[in-house]
Amino acid sequence: MKLLNRLREGNLRDWGASFWEQSSPTKRKVIATSLIGFAALAPFMGFGLLDTPVSDYGAVLVYPVGMFILMALGLNIVVGKSGLLDLGYVAFFAIGAYTMAILGTRTSLNTWEIMPIGIALAMLAGLILGLPALRLRGDYLAIVTLGFGEIVRISALNTREIGGPNGIANVPVPPSIGPIKFSLNDQKAFFWVVLIMILLTIWMIRRLSVRRAGRAWEAIRQDEDVAELMGVHTLKYKLWSFSLGAAVGGAAGVLYASKTLFIAPEMFTLNVSILILACVVFGGMGNIWGVVLGAAILAYLPERIRFISDARLLVFGLALVITMNFRPDGLLPRKKREKAIVKSTQDGI
Amino acid sequence: MYNVLFVYLAMAVLISIDTIRRDRIQKGKDQERYVQERTLLGQKTKRVLLELKNLTITFGGVTALNAVNLKIYQGEILALIGPNGAGKTTVFNVVTGVYRATSGEVLLNEQSLDGMKRHHITKIGIARTFQNIRLFGDMTALENVITGTDVHKRSGLLGGLFGMPRARREEKAGRVKAHEILQFIGIDEYSDRLARNLPYGVQRRLEIARALGTNPQLLLLDEPAAGFNPAEKVELANTIKKIRDAGYTVLLIEHDMSLIMGISDRVAVLDFGQKIADDLPSVVQNDKRVIEAYLGVPADAS
Amino acid sequence: MFSTLIDQFWSLTLSGIALGFIYVLISLGYTMVYGVLRMINFANSEIFMFGTFATIVISRDFLGNVDGTKSLPLPKLILTITLCLLGSMLVSGLVAVFVELVAYRRLRARGTNKLATLISAIGISIVLSEFMRIITNSRPTLNPRVLEKKSLFEIAGASFRMDTVLTIIFAAVLFVVLDRFVKFSRLGRAIRAVSMNEDASKLMGVDLNKVISATFLIGGLMSGAAAFFYTLTYENTKFNVGFTLGLAAFTAAVIGGIGNIRGAFFGGLSLGLVEVYASSILGTEWKSVTVFIILVLVLVLKPNGIFGEAVQQTRA
Repeated sequence: MKLLNRLREGNLRDWGASFWEQSSPTKRKVIATSLIGFAALAPFMGFGLLDTPVSDYGAVLVYPVGMFILMALGLNIVVGKSGLLDLGYVAFFAIGAYTMAILGTRTSLNTWEIMPIGIALAMLAGLILGLPALRLRGDYLAIVTLGFGEIVRISALNTREIGGPNGIANVPVPPSIGPIKFSLNDQKAFFWVVLIMILLTIWMIRRLSVRRAGRAWEAIRQDEDVAELMGVHTLKYKLWSFSLGAAVGGAAGVLYASKTLFIAPEMFTLNVSILILACVVFGGMGNIWGVVLGAAILAYLPERIRFISDARLLVFGLALVITMNFRPDGLLPRKKREKAIVKSTQDGI
Repeated sequence: MYNVLFVYLAMAVLISIDTIRRDRIQKGKDQERYVQERTLLGQKTKRVLLELKNLTITFGGVTALNAVNLKIYQGEILALIGPNGAGKTTVFNVVTGVYRATSGEVLLNEQSLDGMKRHHITKIGIARTFQNIRLFGDMTALENVITGTDVHKRSGLLGGLFGMPRARREEKAGRVKAHEILQFIGIDEYSDRLARNLPYGVQRRLEIARALGTNPQLLLLDEPAAGFNPAEKVELANTIKKIRDAGYTVLLIEHDMSLIMGISDRVAVLDFGQKIADDLPSVVQNDKRVIEAYLGVPADAS
Repeated sequence: MFSTLIDQFWSLTLSGIALGFIYVLISLGYTMVYGVLRMINFANSEIFMFGTFATIVISRDFLGNVDGTKSLPLPKLILTITLCLLGSMLVSGLVAVFVELVAYRRLRARGTNKLATLISAIGISIVLSEFMRIITNSRPTLNPRVLEKKSLFEIAGASFRMDTVLTIIFAAVLFVVLDRFVKFSRLGRAIRAVSMNEDASKLMGVDLNKVISATFLIGGLMSGAAAFFYTLTYENTKFNVGFTLGLAAFTAAVIGGIGNIRGAFFGGLSLGLVEVYASSILGTEWKSVTVFIILVLVLVLKPNGIFGEAVQQTRA
C-alpha cells in the first residue's frame, strides 16, 4: 500500500535511492547479491502468472526480455545520458550479429572470441557515423541516424557475399563453459550470459555517471552550448557516448546471432530501433532502473498477451506518444531528489 | 512604443549618473586622489591580458562591432557599458569563440584566439557567466562547479571507468576545489542542492562559481547584478572585488551605474558597436559623448 | 555502366523532373512546419501515405474504377482526377492537423525540451503506419488504372506521358499558388511572422495555435497532392511507402535550406534528377543509400542548404 502511494507520488525511485544511500556497505552487498541471485533464478519461475502462452518462457527471457534490457541500457547512454536521439541503434546490433555470423560460419573462432571483434567493429561504426552526424543538432541527428540504420540493412540486403536477402544460416552456438551447455531447447545458459552482460553495462554506466564523463554527458544533455563554453570537449564526449552505446548494441548482436542460428537483413529494420527507444522512454530516460523496468515490461507484455503481440509496434508507438505527453520522465524518472533533503527527512523514512 | 521606453531608460541612466556624481563631489577629492594613485601604481606593473585589435563583426550587413580596440590589464576590473544593442554581449561572444570575428582579432597573452574551439578557449583561461542564467539545472551546485574544474583534468573516460589512480586523485581534488570555490563565493551551504531549485540570487552566484571552477585568467561577467536588490548588489560588489583581489582579471557588463562606479578600475563604453570612451570611472561619467550616447542626440536619434 | 545514362538521358531527365515535383510537394510539408516550429515533422511521411490510400479508396471504391485496363472516358476521368486530388489533399491535411493536435500541441504548451517532442512525433508516425499495416495486412494495395500510360509526344527520345505531364503541370501550379499564398495572404503573413519571431508575433496578436494548425494543414494538403500524383504514376501503395519518399523529400527540403519555400522547389527538382541519374548508374537498389549520402553531405558541408540564406545562428 505504501509502495503504491509512493508510485503515485512518483518518487519510488527517490525512495529506493535514499534507502540505498542509508544502507551500510554490508547491507548493500546483501541486497545486491540477493537481487542478482533472484534475477538469475528467473528461468525457473516460468509458471502461473508469469508464463507466456504466445511463446516459450525460457526463450522469451533471453529474447526479447534480456536482449531488450541490454540494448535499452546501451541506448540509454546515448539518449538518456547525453540527450542524443539515435534512431539507428539497430545498425550496431546488426553489425554485431553479422560479425558473429560471418566469422562463426567461415572461421573456427567461437562466440567468446568473436565477441570483442563484434564490439570493436560496432564501436568503429559508431565513430564513423558519429564523426559527421554528431556535429548536427537534435532532429537532424535523429534523421541521419535513422538513415544510417537503413543503409546498414540495405547494404546487407544487396551484398550477395553475405547472403543478401537470404541472410546467413547455421551460426554456431557458443561452446559450453564447464558444465553449462548452450542449446536452443534450454536457454538458461543464454539468459545467464545476458544477465552478466546487463550487470556489466549497469556497472559501467553507474561508474561513469559520477565521473568526469558522466558530468560531461549530463552537461551536454542539459545545455550543449554552455557545456562547450565551460570547457567540455563536446564532440569527444558525444563520440564516446555513441561508441559505448554501439559497443553494447554490438555485444547484444553477437549473442543474438549465436542464439538464433540464423540471421537475415529483415531482422534489423527501423522497427527494432523504435522498440528499443520505446523501452528507454517508457521506463524513464537516464535512469538505469527505469530503463530496465520499462524494457522488461515492454518486452514481456506482448509475449504474455496475444493481442499486443499482433500489434506490438502500434502499442510501442502509442507508448511513446502517451509517455511523452503525460509522463515525460517515464515510469521511474531520473534523479530529482537532493541529498540535503534526504538527510533532513531521514527520521521520517 | 520603443521610443518611450528609450526615453525612460535614458532618464534613469541620467539620474543615476547625476546621483553618483553628486555623491563623489560630496565625498571630496580624497577618493579621487586614491583612485588616481592606485591607477598610477597599477600602470607600473600592468600587463595586457586580453587585447581586442580592430575587432569588427557584421551579421548579414549589420555591423555589431566596428573596429573596436580594447586592452584588459592583468588584475583589473574593467566594466563594459553602453546602451542596449551597443554590442557588449557580442564582445563576450567573440572572446569566448561563439562568434567569429569578421576582421580583427582577439589576443590572450598575445596569443590569437582566432579559429580556436570554444572549449579550448576555456581551457587556456577565459570563462564566462550568462545574462540569462544557464546553469545545469539537474546537477547539484557542487557538480556544476566540478564540471568547471573538469577542464584541466588529464584523466579521461577510460581512466574513470577502470578507476586509475590518477583519475581517483583528480576526482578527489576537483571535489575539494569545488567546495573551496563555493566557500569563497559564500554559497557552500547549497552544495548538495539541485541548481534549478536554488534561490535566484544563489543561482547567479553559482554561475560565477562554475566559471571560477575552470580556473580562468579572465572572468567575463554578463550582468551579474540583474534582478538584485540594493543589498544584494553591495554583497555582489564585494564578491567581485574579492575575486579581483584573489588574482583574477574581471571583464564586467553591467547596467547598474553605482555598482560599476563603485568597483571598476576602468570603464569602457560602447555605442552602436564603437568604443566611444575608455578611462577611469570618474572621467567616463563626465564624458560628453557618453552622456550623449545614453541620452541620444537629436540628430542621431532620427 | 554509364551507357544507360547517356542513351536515355532525356527520358531520364523527364522522369527525374516528374519525380522531383512530387518531392517538391512533400518537402513543402517538412519545410513549412520547420519554419514555424523549428522541428522536423516526423509524421509527414505518414501524412503522405494516408493520401495515397485516400486516392485509391476514392477512385476504386467510391467511383468504382475497378476495370483498370485502359483510360476512363474523358468526363469520368476529369471527375476522378478532381475528386481524388481534392480527397487526397483533404485526408492528408486532416491527418496533419490531427498529428499536430495529438503529438505536438500539449508538449508545446508545456514547453518541454525538443527531445520529448521529437519522440512524441516519432511515436505518432509509428502509430499511423502500423495502423495502416494492420488494416492492409502488410500487403501492397493496387490502384486500378484510370489513365493509360500513353505517350503524348516525344522530344529527343523522351516520351511525354499523360501522367508525367499532368504531374508536372499541376504540381507547378500548386507550388506557385502556395508561394503567392504565403507571400500575400493574411494567414501567410502570420505564418511568416511566426517563423521569424514566435514571441513577437504572439505579442502582436497572432493566434499561435491557429497558425501552427494552419501550417500543418497546408503542409498536409501539399503532401496529399503529392500522394495523388504518386499513386497516379506508380499505381500502387503500401503502409511504408512514406518512408523512402519521406526521407528523400526531407533531403530535398534540406538541400533547399529547410524553412525556405522556394528552396524546397530547387531542392526537390535537383534531388529528383540526381536520384534518377544515380539509379541509372548504380542500380535502383542503392537509390535510398544515394539519397541518404546526399543528405549527410549537405548537412555536414552546407547545413543551411545550397539555396538557403546563410542565417547566422545565435547559439549562446
